[in-house]
Parts: sequence; C-alpha cells; structure tokens
Amino acid sequence: MTKLKLSGVSKAYGATLALRRGDLELDSGEVHVLIGANGSGKSTLCKIVAGSVRPDAGEVLLDGRAVTVSGPRAAQALGIGIFYQELSLADHRSVAENICLPDLPRQNGLFIDRTALRAEAERYIALFETVAGAALQADTIVGDLRADQRQLVEIMKALATEAPILIFDEPTSALDRAQVDRFFEILRDLKSKGRSIVFISHRMDEIFAIGDRVTVIRDGETVGTTTISETSPDAVIHMMVGEQETLATPQAAPPIHAPSTDIALKVEGLTGAGFHEVSFAVGRGEILGLGGLHGQGQSAILKALFGAVAPRSGEVKLAGERLRIDSPRSAIAQGLAYVSGDRGRDGVISGRPILENVTPIHALRNRLLLARPGRLAEKALPALKALNTKFAGLSHSIGSLSGGNQQKIVIARWLIDKPDILLLDDPTKGIDLSAKADLFALIRELAAEGLAIVLYSSEDAELLNNADRILVFNGGSVSRELSGAERTRYNLYQAAYEAA
Amino acid sequence: MNRLTGITANPLLIALVLIAALLFLGDALSPGFASGSQILRLLIVAALLGIVAAGQNLVILGGREGIDLSVGGVVSLSAIVAGNVMNGMDGGIPLAILACVATGALFGLFNGLGVTLLRIPPLVMTLGMLGVLQGLLVVIRQGIPSGRAAPALSEFVTRPFLFGLPGIIWLWIGVGLLMAFILHRTVFGQRVYAIGSNERAAFMAGVPVRRMRIALFMLSGVFAAIAGLCLLGYSGSSFANVGEQYMLPSIIAVVFGGTPLSGGKGGYTGTMAGAVLLVVLQSILTTINIDESGRQMVFGATLLVLMLFYGRGRGLRA
Amino acid sequence: MTTNASLTAHDSGLRRLLGRFPFLPALFILAVLLILNGIFEPNSLSFRSLTGLVRTYMALMLLAVAQTYVVYAADIDLSVGAIASLVNVTIIVLMQHMGGGGLSVLAALGVGVLVGLACGLVNGFVVAALRLQAIVATFATSIFFTGLALVILPVAGMPAPTVFWRTYGGSFFGIPFVFYAAATLAILLYLLARTRLATQLLAVGDGQQAAFQSGLPVTAIRIGGYALCGVFAALAAFCITGDTASGDPLVGAKMTLFSVAAVVLGGSALSGGFGTVAGSVIAALIIGLINSLVFFAGTPSHWQNFVQGLAILAALMVGVLVSRRGRA
Repeated sequence: MTKLKLSGVSKAYGATLALRRGDLELDSGEVHVLIGANGSGKSTLCKIVAGSVRPDAGEVLLDGRAVTVSGPRAAQALGIGIFYQELSLADHRSVAENICLPDLPRQNGLFIDRTALRAEAERYIALFETVAGAALQADTIVGDLRADQRQLVEIMKALATEAPILIFDEPTSALDRAQVDRFFEILRDLKSKGRSIVFISHRMDEIFAIGDRVTVIRDGETVGTTTISETSPDAVIHMMVGEQETLATPQAAPPIHAPSTDIALKVEGLTGAGFHEVSFAVGRGEILGLGGLHGQGQSAILKALFGAVAPRSGEVKLAGERLRIDSPRSAIAQGLAYVSGDRGRDGVISGRPILENVTPIHALRNRLLLARPGRLAEKALPALKALNTKFAGLSHSIGSLSGGNQQKIVIARWLIDKPDILLLDDPTKGIDLSAKADLFALIRELAAEGLAIVLYSSEDAELLNNADRILVFNGGSVSRELSGAERTRYNLYQAAYEAA
Repeated sequence: MNRLTGITANPLLIALVLIAALLFLGDALSPGFASGSQILRLLIVAALLGIVAAGQNLVILGGREGIDLSVGGVVSLSAIVAGNVMNGMDGGIPLAILACVATGALFGLFNGLGVTLLRIPPLVMTLGMLGVLQGLLVVIRQGIPSGRAAPALSEFVTRPFLFGLPGIIWLWIGVGLLMAFILHRTVFGQRVYAIGSNERAAFMAGVPVRRMRIALFMLSGVFAAIAGLCLLGYSGSSFANVGEQYMLPSIIAVVFGGTPLSGGKGGYTGTMAGAVLLVVLQSILTTINIDESGRQMVFGATLLVLMLFYGRGRGLRA
Repeated sequence: MTTNASLTAHDSGLRRLLGRFPFLPALFILAVLLILNGIFEPNSLSFRSLTGLVRTYMALMLLAVAQTYVVYAADIDLSVGAIASLVNVTIIVLMQHMGGGGLSVLAALGVGVLVGLACGLVNGFVVAALRLQAIVATFATSIFFTGLALVILPVAGMPAPTVFWRTYGGSFFGIPFVFYAAATLAILLYLLARTRLATQLLAVGDGQQAAFQSGLPVTAIRIGGYALCGVFAALAAFCITGDTASGDPLVGAKMTLFSVAAVVLGGSALSGGFGTVAGSVIAALIIGLINSLVFFAGTPSHWQNFVQGLAILAALMVGVLVSRRGRA
C-alpha cells in the first residue's frame, strides 16, 4: 500500500536547479533506497519531505491525501522523521537532550522531566549498546563524541520520533561494519512493524543488503524505480550514469613513467594528527596516487604538507632542501599548490567575482599591491581556458556557476604561476563527469610539463586511471605501494581492507 | 529567495532616495531646512561620523563578527591629544596629526592583537578597550587642560576651503576615494573581502589572515583618531567623552550603507550615504517641535523601520 | 610519549570540568579578588561591607542574568539598560501617584514586570520575527525605550516611597533583605535552568538551522529568550530603585555594556549554545569587587577608572581564554 507519494517535486536555489523533477512512491513496510551521484538532488528531495526545504512545485500525497509540509514541526506532526546527512545535533547538549530535543518530556507543564528524559533516551541508546562504545551515555555531551557516535545519536534522534515514515540520508557514512549491521537489524524490525523507510547510501553492498526497492535519481530527475531482488549493482550503476558509462569503467592503465630520478618532493617519517611515520618521494612529472578507504590519513597528510595543520615530527624536502612550512602562505611561496575537494569550505571565496577567485595566488606570488582588473583578466583567461571553464563574465559572482565550474575556477588559481608540486585532495568530489574529464586531462598535461603531482581520490577508478604509482593508506600509514602492473582494482581493495 | 531582494539589491539607492525624501520632509516642516548652508552644516557633521564609519566599515567587512566598539574612546582621546599638542597654535598641527594617527594605530593594534592572537571575540575585546580608554580620559583630564584647537584647524573644518566647501568635506571625499581605491583596486582590498566571506578559503589561498585583521583594527583606530582631530576643530576645544556619540551610530551608518554585520560584502560608498542619512534624520528630529522624549522615540522607531529596508536575515526554511 | 599521554588526560579532565562548570574560572577570579580585598582592607570582608557590595551590584547581577538568556541563543540585547531605566521611572511614578503605600508598591512592581516583559517581546519580535541584526536592532529599541522613559519622567530626581528603599536596605530577623533577594534569585535561576525554554535556547544557540530542522519553534524560542531578558531587566530595575531611592530615566544606560562583559567573564560564549547564569552572577560580583579593590588599594581617585578598565579587560581575556579550553 502506498504510504507516501511524491510527484514532480522541484526546487531551485537561485540559478541552480537542485531538483528538477523528483518522483517517489514509498510503501508501508518497505526499505526504499534512493541512489544517485553527489549533487543529484537526493538530499533536497528528503528535505522537502521533512519540511525543511520549501518545494517550488510538485505534489506530496500522504495516505492518498495531498498534504503541505509547512515545516519540520508539521512534518513530525504528519508522522515523518528524518536523519540529516549533515546532522542536526546541538554540540553542547547531552546525548539524552539531543535524542529528545524535538519533544522534551515535561512535568508540571514548564519543567523538563529529567527522569522521563533519561528513560526515554536510554531506550534508544540501548538499541546500540553493544556497538556504540562506552562513551556514549545519556549524559555525555555530544561534542565530546567521535564522528561515528554522533552519527548514531542522530539515528537515535530520528528513531525517537517514532514516526511511521523514517528518512535516513546517508546514515552509515561514518559507521563501522558492526554498527551498520546493528542498524540494519533495527531497520528490519521497524519494517516488520509496517514502518516506511527511505534509505540513502553510496555503498552498493549496503543497498543490496537492506533495500526492497531502489529509486535512481540523475541530475535532479527521477530515472526509475526497480525491485532490488530483480536487479544487479551493474544495472543500478547503469541507471545512475546513463549514457556516460564509459567514464565509470576503468580504462587501461596509463603508460608507466620510468621511475624518475629527479626527486621533487621527499617526505620522511612525517607524523601528525591522523597519520604517522609516512615516507614517500615524488619525482618530477610523476602522478603519485594516495588510495585506501576514506579517512585513512590521506587528506590529513596533504593538508600538513601544505601547512594548513602542523605535523608533529618528520621532514619534508623540496628538491633536496628542507622545507619550513608553517602556513599555506609559506607553502605557496615555496612552490606548493593544494586543491581541496571541499571547495565550499576551503576553496571558493563565496559571493566574490570570478576574477578575484582566480587571482589570489598570482597576487601573492608576485607580491602585487594593486589589483588592475584588465591586467589580471589577461592572466586569468588562459588559465580558465585551459580547463574549459564555462562562465558568463569575469565580474560575475562565483556563486552563479555550477559546482564543477566553481572547482575549475579554484584550480585555475594555480595555473597562472605554475607551482612545482600540486597536491590534490579528492579534487573531483561532487562534480560532474565532464568536468572530471577536463580536470584529469589537465593534470596529465601538467605532469608532462614536469610538475610533481600527489593525488588523493576517494574514487578508485580515478586513481587507477591516472596515477603512475599508488600508495595505499590504512590507519594513518602507508600499507602498500602499487606500481606498474600491480595497479589493479583487486590489489587496491585488498590492501585497503587488509587490516581494517 | 527573498521578497525584498529587489529593493535590497542597491542599498546606496535606498539611502539616497531616503535622504532626498527626508530633506523634502524637513523643508516642508521647517522652511530653510534644505537650504544650501544647512545642508553644508549637515554634511560637516556627517563627515565626522563618516570618517569614523570608514574604519568601522573595514573591520566589519573583514568578518568573523568584526566590530569596533572602542572607536568612540579613540575619538575622544585623539581630540584631547591633538588639543594638547597644538594648544591653539597652527605650528603644532603636523605634530598633532602624527600624534593622533599614532594613538589610533596603537589602540587599534591592541585590539587587533587581542582578537587574533588571544582570539577574544571583537565585541568583547573592543568593549574592554573602551573601558580602558574611558579610564584613560579621566586620568588625562585630571593632569592636563583639555587644550584648544589651532585656528587653522577650526577653519579647515568649518569655513569654506575650495569651491565653497569646507576642508573637512574635501577630506571626506578624499577618504571616500581612498576607500574605494583600497577596496576595489588593491590586493589588500580583495583580501578584506576574501577573509570576510570565507576566511578558511582565504587562508588556504595564502592570505595572511591575522595580519590582515590586525591591520583592519589599526586602520579603524587611525580613522577614528582623524575624526577626533577634526572634531576638535569643529568644536574648538575637546570635552569629556565627545566621541561616545560615534560608537553605535558608526555601526548603524555601515549597516544602512549595505554592509551586513556578518561582513564580506558591501562597501564604503553606501556607508557614506548611510552616515548622511543618519545625520539628516537626527537633524529633522531636532528641527521639528517635539521634546527630547518624543524625538528619541521617533528616532528609535525610524531606525527600526529603515532597517527593514536593508538585508533582513535569511529565513530558516530554504 | 607517556608524558604526552598523561598531559592529554590531564587536559581532558580540565576540559570536562570546565565543560560542566564553565563558571569555574570566574569563581577563581572572585576568590582571588576577595582575598586581595581582604589584604588591602580587612574591613572590606566584614558582613556589613559584603552586604553593601551585594546591595549595590544586585542590579548588575540581574542584568547579567537577563543578558545571559539571550546570549544562550546567540543573540544579544543592547537595550537591557534602557529597559531597566524605563521600569525604574515607571514604578517610581506609579508609586508616587498611588500614594506610596505598601499596596501601591506591590501594584507598581507588578506593572514594572509587565513593562519589562513587553519590552522583551518587542525586542524578540524585531530580532527573531522581523530578522533584523540583533546588535543594531536592540540599539534602536534602546533609543525608543529611553524616549519612553523620558516621557514618563523627564528629569531625574523623583524620590521612591520610604517603605520601598527602607525594605531594600533593611534587615529581617537579622538578615539583610538583599540576601533574601539573592536566595530567591538562586531558587528562581535553579528552576529556570530546568525549564524546556532554557534547554531550547541553548540548542538554538548551538545551531539555529539544526534546531529548526529538529522541529524546534526557533522564532518563538528566541522571542522567549528576549521576554525572559526583559523580565530580569525589570527585576534589576527594582534593585536600582531600591539602591538609589529615586527615578532617573537614564540610570541603566551605562550598565548595558557591563552586562555583556559579565556574561563573557562568566564563561558563556557570545556565539551561543554554551554558558551558565551562575557564571554571569559571579562575574557581576567580580566587576563590583574590582571596583572596590581599586578603591581599597589606594589608587588615586582619577586613576581609578583607568585601573578598573584595565582590570576588567584583563579579567575578560582570562575568562575567554580559560573557558575556551572547556569547549575547544
């Protein structure tokens, strides 16, 4: 029986169309998987159902009746609970207060009933007792918890709404295997009680382990819905990428460079927050890949090399000379460049013109005092052209561009005055396929020009297709080095999962 | 996105329209309000406020809850310092200017160091500094006479200097041009906007965030000190806490000029209009025949209504 | 390696302690100041002197508490002083008009609380519902409230009825009235800390968007914070009236910034989500003790303001630096 039906739901933020046409049919007693690439509109769809985003158009039917979800409170009243990908926790409040925050139990009308609050929270904490870790107690302050524990609290908070419809937007991204298994047991139990569950995850194995049906969203549009038992991971991926599948399958590995004797960057025994005793060397013209599961220290070490966080010990040598890097500023001066995949946080100077977003490095390296738009434009345009960047004018705000083009602007910064070392920290996160293709073409070109490039990517295919050598990270240190013919998906997986 | 977007698009235009409307209203209520000499007088008062607001504007543009509550104290202190250094003599003016700029820069430096090195929120740091400055004023007044403005300084501020406009108006125009140049044609200016709109991205692009922020507070101190010097010329001699009246109005002028307190966008042209708007509004209220209490109530309520025209915060529901 | 580990353990212990009791640094500063006061002037620790201290700074304590509730939600109220002034003149004029008897005092106090509440609701409406920037909007309302106070009492000086200030300055069963007031305040604050509103304000301060997405009525909660602030500003006005025994339409103006300073000094974060009212109360006493210490230490009179300013700035720095460790 159809519990919830969305048809033709859309949402635009300014010029960006986040959701073009979202359709979804959710039955009672099913786990309905929503899948699609980053930025395809899944989260927007969920937030519309949960009332925290106002749709521009479309219809929401609950139990066959058209409803307007006017806000998160209204959604709760209609029986819709949600787990937010970015979490909706109050960091300085206790676990119990967070779990019950939407409806804190009262006594005498005015006061919080501490006993009831605790009892209520304990019920949900107990669900994860075996896998949550000792620190997760009712009166622990949420800010003191690990990332996975915070994610569990957000799950408990969603469960505590006891809503007939539960939406989970990437609830498992920080959880370990045991935690996921326990969560799935709970989901199956809820399902058996007739609850309707929307589940989002990027892990194909999870989707096939827990899902009943799957709906695929591509570029803000619902592509189709199929029954999980009648489909395969390949078929789902096919639906996700549409006609552009060629880019998703690994190509033949690129020609192997002769191990360069011309060492550009040498890292020896570098230790810091999230990584320890890491040593490697990159030659001129080489693309060194950093692989492994997400968050094994790859990103942390790149940030440390760029001076954004201080390492505790170890040595970095650039062309044989010891580097003293205490800030990105000094790193840039010594010829390093860094591109973050988290462009909203680390890259884009929001609300400012495209020109100002392309030229800060040029201004710094040439110690410019004056910003002459004409001259800067002369410098900026070739860099933007090298990346096939699409934009209406240099004076337009960077916010007017799509995610992929914004990232191209951020990368173009480094192309006016070429650095010696290019550090790429998952640079293609959340950008479209054609932008990725443009980007990697450029990276190969830069390597050919003699730059040393260190590339971390969370997508294995990108590493296998582009890196000359791959260091597989595990638990903060290098567990294996793959070069030449060893660079296979199998070896990469094996090294990544070995100790995990 | 916002029903008000159409209007908020150009704060400068709103301010100019409101100024014109207020001048008409003022002239209707009290004929002669919008006469040339009156407008000139208003502009002199606005210039004083506007110069303080220039520094305030820079600090606010730099983001991270940037705000400088100590400007009022610096204005007062600088007026006293200047008065004592020149002590009624024209020859002392260059030294007085130097002393004022140094004073302003010094206190700005303290603010900047507290905010960056000790990471004290700007509101708290500059509030504490204001207390120190007010105490310092008491000490100084006890020990030395308040000093007098040099005749040339008073003339510069109040008498026509060039094309019938007093020197302070020209100074203000100069400040306006300088600010426009700094903000839009220098790398420093681009960096001000960069740290105001995304501090982390600016840091990753090699912007020396701390030094920038210290510089902004120092500039704020310097602008306040220059305003203090001019204020001395305007009133002839300094008196206790003359600067206090500039603290919050300088912030409001910035907001009315279209720079939100969150920083990162806006500019000084709007702030200049904001300062004029505020001064015209105050002046109208003194012109019309109501007592102090009514004047304050109308002023407060008008400020609130005007704020509705400028960027309201974003709604919670996207 | 081991020293490193024990250092972290020690660090996290301090962190947890500060996280639970953010007012500990303030309490420490308070103790130091009491001792210093005692050294410079043993008499300053006498019951009489301390009573005087509490009597004088009760108003600031209440204003600091008022400010704390809005800061909980990451808002700020620059009109608390003006509200206190308005309530001060309102009750003075009312008591005068009704003859100054005990009943008229009670009636006036009732009206005073309502006036404070109304001012708070206006602030809340302007900041939370109209979404104006709190600093400038409450500055504008403060001008409005001051105007209103000037309408009610154009010049300072109307005296309070004798029964009013005699009660505030007097003793019952050998215990000064202000200590009853302080005890009542303590109970009131304890009860308020257990309300839903207090927790919801802190949750809003932790992240407005997250609180909204959790289904909290964010606008109503913020208005509630401002309303609470208005009521406490009214209570502060009662103490001002008891202390000065007269009406003054500008009496509270100077106290606004001190209330903000007290909140920060007490360990609350201006960015919201974290803090305690107890800290603010202690911090108000610290400001009082700094003032008396500067006096007792024999500072020349014209240096007193400067030294006070420096000491408060130093205390603010220490407060911010230490309490940050509880949250970092």
